[in-house]
Amino acid sequence: MNGRRVLAITRRLLQQFRRDRRTLALLFVAPLVILALLGYLLRGGGSSPAVGVVNEDSGPVGGAVATQLLKSSKVSASQMDRPTADDGLRAGTLAGYVLFPADFSLRARQGVIAPEIHLEGTQPGPAAAVVGAVTGALQGALASSGTRVAPKVFYLHGGPNLDSLDYLGAALIGLIVFFLVFIVTSVSFLRERTQGTLERLMATPLRRGEIVIGYMLGFGLVALVQSVLVLLFTLYVLHIHNQGGVGLIFVLVALLAVGAVNLGIFLSVFARTEFQAVQFIPLVIAPQVLLSGIFFPVTSEPVPLQYLSNVLPLTYAVYGLREVMLKGSDLSTTALQVDLLVGLAFAALVIALAAATLRRRVA
Amino acid sequence: MRALDGVSLEVRRGEVYGLLGPNGSGKTTLIRMLVGLVAPDAGEVTVLGARMPDLAVLGRIGYMTQAAALYTDLSVEENVRFFAAVTGAEKNVAEAIDIVELSDRRDSVVSTLSGGMRQRASLACALVHQPQLLLLDEPTVGIDPQLRVQFWEYFRTLTAAGATIIVSSHVMDEAERCDRLGLIRSGHLLAEGSVDDLRRQAGVDRLEDAFLKLSAGPAA
Repeated sequence: MNGRRVLAITRRLLQQFRRDRRTLALLFVAPLVILALLGYLLRGGGSSPAVGVVNEDSGPVGGAVATQLLKSSKVSASQMDRPTADDGLRAGTLAGYVLFPADFSLRARQGVIAPEIHLEGTQPGPAAAVVGAVTGALQGALASSGTRVAPKVFYLHGGPNLDSLDYLGAALIGLIVFFLVFIVTSVSFLRERTQGTLERLMATPLRRGEIVIGYMLGFGLVALVQSVLVLLFTLYVLHIHNQGGVGLIFVLVALLAVGAVNLGIFLSVFARTEFQAVQFIPLVIAPQVLLSGIFFPVTSEPVPLQYLSNVLPLTYAVYGLREVMLKGSDLSTTALQVDLLVGLAFAALVIALAAATLRRRVA
Repeated sequence: MRALDGVSLEVRRGEVYGLLGPNGSGKTTLIRMLVGLVAPDAGEVTVLGARMPDLAVLGRIGYMTQAAALYTDLSVEENVRFFAAVTGAEKNVAEAIDIVELSDRRDSVVSTLSGGMRQRASLACALVHQPQLLLLDEPTVGIDPQLRVQFWEYFRTLTAAGATIIVSSHVMDEAERCDRLGLIRSGHLLAEGSVDDLRRQAGVDRLEDAFLKLSAGPAA
């Protein structure tokens, strides 16, 4: 072991870092950005889930609990009638509502606290918040012990049998396909640039549209096989809950894959080495993992972040996949139509961007 | 900085035109300009009667970059077949591989080939569609003298069949094989003519001396 030789290697590495400022910046800045994003996401005073309170109680107890609930900081509760609450639940504007039935006071006096909790049911976070808030309000309003709390829980979608994997799985299918296809394409297209074959292609009668579409078909084909595998595995091995058409899921995933291929081609312009291409992971992938609603529902994010979430393509894929798999939506659902249209628009945009980077006469 | 300045030259059909100049003199930029990859700030580039870039003309040009630009994870034949498909010349694949004498290695993956073999495979990709104009950027850099002689035999076979070749080089003995030469230095075309013309112009016997003498001129 020779210290001078060891130090020679260390010094060389540091010199290389000095030449590659971008890597260095990323190494130091990316973790702070990601952590800041996560911090803001979780502590930035995100909007708490919207909850309806429907009081049909003929006695006084329902009103007392409702008052407690309206003061709760865990949820933003507002009083409404039952049809409004049902509409809100269906439209997705409410995470759930609490109903105090006509005999609520009567049964409370008999020792059974039995409110109804109606949940939207496709997002685990808000559902837990609603149940938590109701429990808290009940304890606040009814200090007396000896009563049995037995809320009846109803689900609009999904149900008590859904576990975290069911919620996450739908979204993760999109993330996995997007991420892998993006990385493989960007590195592969970068190689085309660095090994000089792209230059050579540019000196042939190939049109750039032909290159982009050729790439799209090639990688698209592999991505589709991957999508099929992922789908089959999640549906038939992991038994992830699915109420919708497998064909629709496939269309959503395929759109995402086409988008990822072209995003990869487009962004490969901004990398000189495969090393730098891998750096797109924290830049392109990490924010989407945090902000596309996979783990934290977009509606519970701090409002400024919601704007950001709403321009990320993966957000719409996640919405769409949950719409199909957890709610069983089909093409007649407006929300799903929006998700599909955004997916199409994103794919079209990145195809145009990818083609634009292949202009001839660029030195 | 200008890579090329005031360069004006004409290449005749069926000749081997050599671009001679030191590294960094602008030879590669000039060749890239001829295939339309770089646009001149002023002036025009006309190849086979059309202003570049022109997709139809690109189909009649063969371009071999300095480093063997090949798909290293594909075999020789797969590479040649790909470039042939792009120009619609699939029927010539076997012949092109035969010309560069790689028939016995046609199924070898490029990454397993020696530098000289890669260079030959790269040439096969450039000539598979039987281009009328072949642009070769230092095609014989890093290959042994024997192979260099072979390359020049291929070039002469091609010109005999009517093709025109523009080849860049910084090696004198190679330059001497060209029909006509353009001396390039610091982006300027210093002199043009046959080897004899250049020697006479400089009043020396050896091309190397002619090059040194001519390039010591006003452009320096």
